[in-house]
Amino acid sequence: MSDIFDIAIIGAGPGGMSAALEAAQQGASVAVLDRKATPGGQIYRDVTQSPLLDPSVLGREYTEGAELVRAFLEADIDRHQNADVWHIGENGEVLYSQDNQTRRLVARELIISPGAMERPFPIEGWHLPGVMTAGSAQVMLKSDGMVKDGAIFAGTGPLLYLIVAQYLRLGVTVNAVVDTTPAGGVGRAMQHLGGALRKPAYLIKGLKLLNEIRRAGVPVFRHASNLSILGESKAVGLQFQQDGRTHSINAGHIFLHQGVIPNLNMTRALGMEHHWAEQQLCWTPVLDDWGQSSIPHIAVVGDAAGIQGAEAARHAGRLAALKAMNKLGKLNDADLQQESSANLKAIKSFKAFRSFLDAYYPPTPEHRIPVATNTLVCRCEEQTMGQLRAGFEQGAKDPNALKALTRCGMGPCQGRQCGHTVSELLADWQNKPVSDIGYYRLRSPQRLLSVEELSQFQNIKPVQKPAEVSA
Amino acid sequence: MFRSLRKPETQSVSININGQTVQVAEGSSLWAAMALHGETQTRLASVSGQQRSAYCAMGVCFECLVEINGVPNQQACMTTVEEGMHVSSQHLTEQSIAALHQKESADHE
Repeated sequence: MSDIFDIAIIGAGPGGMSAALEAAQQGASVAVLDRKATPGGQIYRDVTQSPLLDPSVLGREYTEGAELVRAFLEADIDRHQNADVWHIGENGEVLYSQDNQTRRLVARELIISPGAMERPFPIEGWHLPGVMTAGSAQVMLKSDGMVKDGAIFAGTGPLLYLIVAQYLRLGVTVNAVVDTTPAGGVGRAMQHLGGALRKPAYLIKGLKLLNEIRRAGVPVFRHASNLSILGESKAVGLQFQQDGRTHSINAGHIFLHQGVIPNLNMTRALGMEHHWAEQQLCWTPVLDDWGQSSIPHIAVVGDAAGIQGAEAARHAGRLAALKAMNKLGKLNDADLQQESSANLKAIKSFKAFRSFLDAYYPPTPEHRIPVATNTLVCRCEEQTMGQLRAGFEQGAKDPNALKALTRCGMGPCQGRQCGHTVSELLADWQNKPVSDIGYYRLRSPQRLLSVEELSQFQNIKPVQKPAEVSA
Repeated sequence: MFRSLRKPETQSVSININGQTVQVAEGSSLWAAMALHGETQTRLASVSGQQRSAYCAMGVCFECLVEINGVPNQQACMTTVEEGMHVSSQHLTEQSIAALHQKESADHE
């Protein structure tokens, strides 16, 4: 029942699809496992089967993805949708859940592209019904054509302005935009201006979005700080400060956003080496220019490798596929270098542009590292900042000790919504760099699994690290 | 209320949400189908028992866990609706699970 492939790719976003296309074109046998019902990742979600009459309102960066998705669907690739990978083990073994059953495949090389998620926004009341992420507004629009009138959009970053502009084009009312981008953005980003000027089209697009929002007459509160959600059992409004004054706006729905971070669970459960990326304020796997990780035969591409966006992901996907072909002995070193050069160069310019965005739209400390003791940090196990602080004072100085003591990070989301906050809180309390603090130790299964499904596997071995192999 | 801008020619399927049979667009995510019918409560918070609702809609927050055809802990946002599906908001909490265990051991005695 097991199939052996040259290359298995996990995730069918722009990075995974590009890697698959390149590998298939080079003659490799390729399997792609994707968690969603249709390929495209979050960015090109349902782009070839939009529920909207006119998907062009979502912008060209979205609709242009259709070409890649179609090419992917037509290529000689073993595609598996609704395939939720829960374990990657030694010898290229991949276990995934599909139709409530676990299936297995084996590959010589693995390229994983689990994508990004929105940065947690741990403020008072962020767990209340009625509070969602701005990314969720876009997901609901792309896959279901579903919208919410009269919501507040709060936070910072290009995605926030994009979804507001998309809503306005569709005639959806927006209550207000509460923008937490701190004043002095140009000064902060000045040293990266060269990077911005390498992508003038993106820069102009960003300015156009802001103009579109202003022209529509939506109230925009700039340089807002100290956000908190109002409400007891559900959200009823948003409170914030601006120019030293406290404002509150009533609304039953608030969409929050402060950028995206790599979706870490797969790379962490593999035991891959990670580092704290100071510029992006997130954990990122340590990779070479071709996406090769610290674990032999496993590469990481796309936003899970560090946030660079969809276009950079396409270049990274191709590079990882070329390198995999090289390792499989199907592409010689000289050809690898020659084939890679344009993609390596392109990624460099996307990185320079991203540095500008990261500096311009920083997630501010007060919305990453909670100050109010009753702010929930771990939503699943309902652990507040105050409870974590108490655990810290009892001696839990690192994320795993704090997890053991308080249960933070032990719920169904497996630390996705609290991991970064916990790393940063512990660093802050000890006045240490986050890189010294580390992150939760994660293990398979990487999804909720019924005992019935899990019990089919009696012998699940983790991936071997190089040191263990040579020992 | 959430509303739908879905193109009109979409086929529909019939599902049951919290005891009520409703028509929803074929291919919808279960979360969208629930939200469009005003059923935005997904699970209860496991410790406090407070009501929760979807947060990320893309499978990383696990707030939208519901019971589908009697099986709990299913992500509504990652599930596509199917004809005849029975869905209910999830009421499992630490307290309710403890009570269930207590009842089970009492039954065994």
